[in-house]
Amino acid sequence: MGPLIPNGVITGEWDFVIAILLGIAFGFLLEASGFSSSRNIAGVFYGYNFVVLRVFFTAVIVAMTGLLYFDYFGWIELDKIFILPTYLAPMILGSVIMGFGFLLGGFCPGTSYTAIAIGKLDGILFTVGLFIGIFLFSEAFPLFEDFYYSGFIGNVTLTDVTGIPAGWFAFAFTVIALASFWITMIIEKKVRKNIKEYKF
Amino acid sequence: MNRNYIFLTLLMLLLATGVLFLPEKPEYKQTKPEDLLYEIIQPTRYVTTDQVAKMIIDKDPSLELVDVRDVNSFEKFSLTNAINIPLDSILSESNQEYFGIPGMKVVFYSDDDIKADEAWVLTRRMGYKDTYVMTGGLNRWIETIINPKMPPDDAPYTAFEQYEFRKGAQMYFTGVKIEAKTTKAKVTVHRKKKKAAPSGGC
Repeated sequence: MGPLIPNGVITGEWDFVIAILLGIAFGFLLEASGFSSSRNIAGVFYGYNFVVLRVFFTAVIVAMTGLLYFDYFGWIELDKIFILPTYLAPMILGSVIMGFGFLLGGFCPGTSYTAIAIGKLDGILFTVGLFIGIFLFSEAFPLFEDFYYSGFIGNVTLTDVTGIPAGWFAFAFTVIALASFWITMIIEKKVRKNIKEYKF
Repeated sequence: MNRNYIFLTLLMLLLATGVLFLPEKPEYKQTKPEDLLYEIIQPTRYVTTDQVAKMIIDKDPSLELVDVRDVNSFEKFSLTNAINIPLDSILSESNQEYFGIPGMKVVFYSDDDIKADEAWVLTRRMGYKDTYVMTGGLNRWIETIINPKMPPDDAPYTAFEQYEFRKGAQMYFTGVKIEAKTTKAKVTVHRKKKKAAPSGGC
């Protein structure tokens, strides 16, 4: 059945409607997870708050195993979904820069907007900086264009590169994620005396 | 510890373990059934014997004639520059190099359409493009190119043009001499009556 648009279940014009709905859901969940506070986000680097790690790991393992089951049930054709092209060295450098930005600013681009939504000044300043950065990057792009496109290895997945079935990666990743949930919970308890237990 | 966390952790672990036992889907790189059905009904996948003859005569470098009959039949008679890939070995690894060459038009033929059509479907499902079937196969070839029939008198002008081409092609492929097109009209020579020879003198 899915993906819906490539298989012609719905037309391409629904792209924007779906994007808006997903955007609203994403923003809502970021805010609900406490990501509009830079303290929560930067806490993962200082070792007192691991909510970022838990939220993103949860999203990853649920989506990952879910997609594999969906593929098995025939609800989505995994070989039809878009896979981001991999540029190895530029991506490693990019993620290091992203990590520094995360650590220094206390936001990632998405969370800075949720911070604006609830009227945080640091969020607004972060977003101004974001646009200045985008502008400078665009202007200086010819300088590092060669590096930007270097190390291209195609639209590959880990299964394509290693030959190990996707299920094994999903399983290993889930085990690592679950272990990290419990370990970070113990760390948080030791580091923060006044921690309140997460309830749901 | 919150009991919900323990429950969710176990559930997630169970689901992730289940993922290990999902059967791997075999990957076939082939045309989708809907696309194939659409292409099967397109008349453009056929070429006529006339078109093939013209391409052979023009020495069209993009033409790749593939004879899908067995080796014996191929050795008895085949078209100019055709290669022989019997239908039962069309999927073999060593024959794959003949297909999918950019710019080449693969034209299948057999005694009739049937085997050539099968070859077309097989190669098309494997994703090769630019493959065609010669309509009517060698039977039609003999009928139209080797022994072309004169169209009836009331046939349209194009039929005569086609006939002329086929006669030319017949000459090219078989080497028969073509008889003169114009019927011989009886030539009657009207001679001038000789004037009486001068006799005598003035």
